[in-house]
Amino acid sequence: MAEEKKVLLERTELAKAITRMAHEIVEKCVAPSDLVLIGIRSRGVHLARRLGRKVSEICHTNLPVGVMDVTPYRDDRSRPENASAPGALEAPVAVDEKTVVLIHDVIFRGRTIRAAMDAVERLGQPKRILVAALVDRGARELPIRADIVGKNITAAENERVNVLLEELDGVDQVTLAGWKT
Amino acid sequence: MRHLISIADLTNDEIEEIFALADRAQEQRQERPATGHIMATLFYEPSTRTRLSFESAMQRLGGSVISCSDMKSSSTAKGETIADTAKVVSSYADVLVVRHHWDGAVQAMAEHADVPVINAGDGAHEHPTQTLCDLYTLRKEKGALKGLTVVVCGDLRNGRTIHSLVFALARFSANVVTLAANGMALPQYVIERLEREYGYGLTPVAANDLSTVVTETDALYLTPRQPHQLALFTQVDEVIQARLSSMATGLRYDAFYMTRKQKERMKDGASGSYPSIGADFLREQRFQDTVVMHPLPRVDELSPEVDKDRRGIYFKQAAYGVPVRMALLKFLFERHEKGTSTRRRQSVIYESPEAVGPQCRNANCVTLNEPVSTRRRFQILSPEEGGAWVVACLYCDHRNKVQYIGNAKSKRYSFFDPSLITSFREWLKAGELAIFDTIKEAEELGYEPIKSGPQRILLNESEIEQALVDIAGQILRDCQNPDRLLILGVRSVGAQLAQRLAQEVEKRCQRRLELGEIEIFGAGEELRRVSPADPDAGPLNLKDREVILVDDVLYTGRTVKSALSIIFRSGRPQSVRLAVLIDRGHREVPVRPNYVGKNIPTAENERVRVKLRGLDQENRDHAVLYSIDHAVGQTAPLPAREGTAASR
Repeated sequence: MAEEKKVLLERTELAKAITRMAHEIVEKCVAPSDLVLIGIRSRGVHLARRLGRKVSEICHTNLPVGVMDVTPYRDDRSRPENASAPGALEAPVAVDEKTVVLIHDVIFRGRTIRAAMDAVERLGQPKRILVAALVDRGARELPIRADIVGKNITAAENERVNVLLEELDGVDQVTLAGWKT
Repeated sequence: MRHLISIADLTNDEIEEIFALADRAQEQRQERPATGHIMATLFYEPSTRTRLSFESAMQRLGGSVISCSDMKSSSTAKGETIADTAKVVSSYADVLVVRHHWDGAVQAMAEHADVPVINAGDGAHEHPTQTLCDLYTLRKEKGALKGLTVVVCGDLRNGRTIHSLVFALARFSANVVTLAANGMALPQYVIERLEREYGYGLTPVAANDLSTVVTETDALYLTPRQPHQLALFTQVDEVIQARLSSMATGLRYDAFYMTRKQKERMKDGASGSYPSIGADFLREQRFQDTVVMHPLPRVDELSPEVDKDRRGIYFKQAAYGVPVRMALLKFLFERHEKGTSTRRRQSVIYESPEAVGPQCRNANCVTLNEPVSTRRRFQILSPEEGGAWVVACLYCDHRNKVQYIGNAKSKRYSFFDPSLITSFREWLKAGELAIFDTIKEAEELGYEPIKSGPQRILLNESEIEQALVDIAGQILRDCQNPDRLLILGVRSVGAQLAQRLAQEVEKRCQRRLELGEIEIFGAGEELRRVSPADPDAGPLNLKDREVILVDDVLYTGRTVKSALSIIFRSGRPQSVRLAVLIDRGHREVPVRPNYVGKNIPTAENERVRVKLRGLDQENRDHAVLYSIDHAVGQTAPLPAREGTAASR
């Protein structure tokens, strides 16, 4: 039995995917001044910053980028420790009447995004919530979609998608790892 | 009853009266005017300064104190409501001092208490006694409040002290300069209330106009400019740096009011972008008479160098807490004996004639977190520019736009439109005005549009039946274990469809299925909970179930989003799949259905409704589409109910 690793996106492909996602974000929003990006910890944060820079370049604006930690809202936590405290937002942004784009590295079962929607609700009333994910690996357990996707793949249950980013891992790469007998 | 919930409950003269009493605090220590009185402090959130200074003040006035410093671990943990606590503790004490984590909770407490209630901080809403201390400090240090220029700085979004303070400064005609840390600007409702009630114009001002404008304008809203080398703040993000350095020299700043970095609301990670005052500030020539205030406790936004400087007055500010609270207690006891009640705010109060009214949009409002202790009411404000009508939550002051209005007598609804203002006023006066957040709410209560286009049939009886048969087949195909299936319908049409769908699935798999409901739009006991469709059945267990969520029409997806939140509050299913009879597009949240009877492209002003036999006195099943037209200038008497524009 050995671990097999397949590279899904190399550095340049990842950069291209981000550029394309940035353009899709711009297309899908009515006015760039209404746009807010929120990165979901931890890789989503760096993706959000990169997308934020790209979108800012395209629209010549300065896009607000927030950071969200959905751990307290996740359903696999036994009980939210303090559900009344909106502690999940580390870099706060105003979301009222805005188009909020949640940025996630890999969308899989949909549970993180569901938790993130709850967290956004505690911040205010956005006009719209979109989801942008670098990788959509399907196999959703909840009726939740990604509106903007860098790469769609199908992966077996026991396979793992790893998003490696320069800022954290020193390299830009997306790989699929799995055990083969 | 005389309470102090908001700084708006006191007139300027009354505030001056309290300050005069505070000046004579020493005399009162001898007079002991509160002898025989008991104060109860109920703190649902931790506090040191506020609670201790209140308790010290009461004891110095000769009264005594009973205290519950950690309400969370007391009866509240057993589920006691705010209303019950208020009633019970009212019989133990003569005044209640309350701090709570929900916005508006102290107002709810006051509504059920039989003794005066003082707000010691409610969520992110207000903290009026801190404001009194701040104003008193400023007046002591600077002689008068009128004409002072106060820079409020840091987290202006979550800081309740800041909200109360800016209103109070506005009332005493002080200039307010806001300097928000990134993303933590004053909430919109605060800015709007400043404009509406105090005539503060918040215009963007370029830095070079600043010195001329500051003499004419009461408040400044500074726009970012080019970054500047002036290292006034240590550890500050570019935006604040730019704003700060853009303040032209030659202006007089009387005070800097720093707020605490709210660690419990932000966690780590944002430390680099919070302003702090250090030695650089003290060396700046133009700040030589600028005092530095802070509500304390501080985190790291004030360096210890400021402590030693004469301008750092925050410990003095904290010390004034006792004389000011002594004065406030004496003031309230006197008013209570005279039997005066809290100053009425200057506006019309609205309460829906229907069981379902508009909901406050503030997720931390007490009306959402503990509906049983509140009666959802709103202040009707005057229309905004552009004709939108806004109501403000009576508890938390959060401003909510009126979306749909209806007449409770004729059972008709419409989009709110400026041309409907006459009807709006008339219905309000007659007590017939129903305000709705969504059309779905109006429809659930049997309202029809005031004006609508002709109906088009989308699905007839046999097509609906066929769609359900198809969906049932797909559900079984995708299902891993039919014994774990749980069908949940959104009331009311979704719940009916869920029942039929369950029958269809049962027929094929020869098993009894468990069936449940979620009520999102109603106002009943079961609201926002998952309940069994059969009221005699035991509670539903969601753990590891394969849930099929059923609704009639999928539109923005917000209903599904709410349903998912409710489901996950009740348990952790293995999966949730969504079945809808019609998907009409226009999604506002990232929801995707798994099973769709029919996809139908629609325009935003159209309604798609599924009408089922047995509901709404229908005698057959059908799905229809019609447009809702703006009821322009609807002032004439409304048509009788039978004469629906929809032709049947």
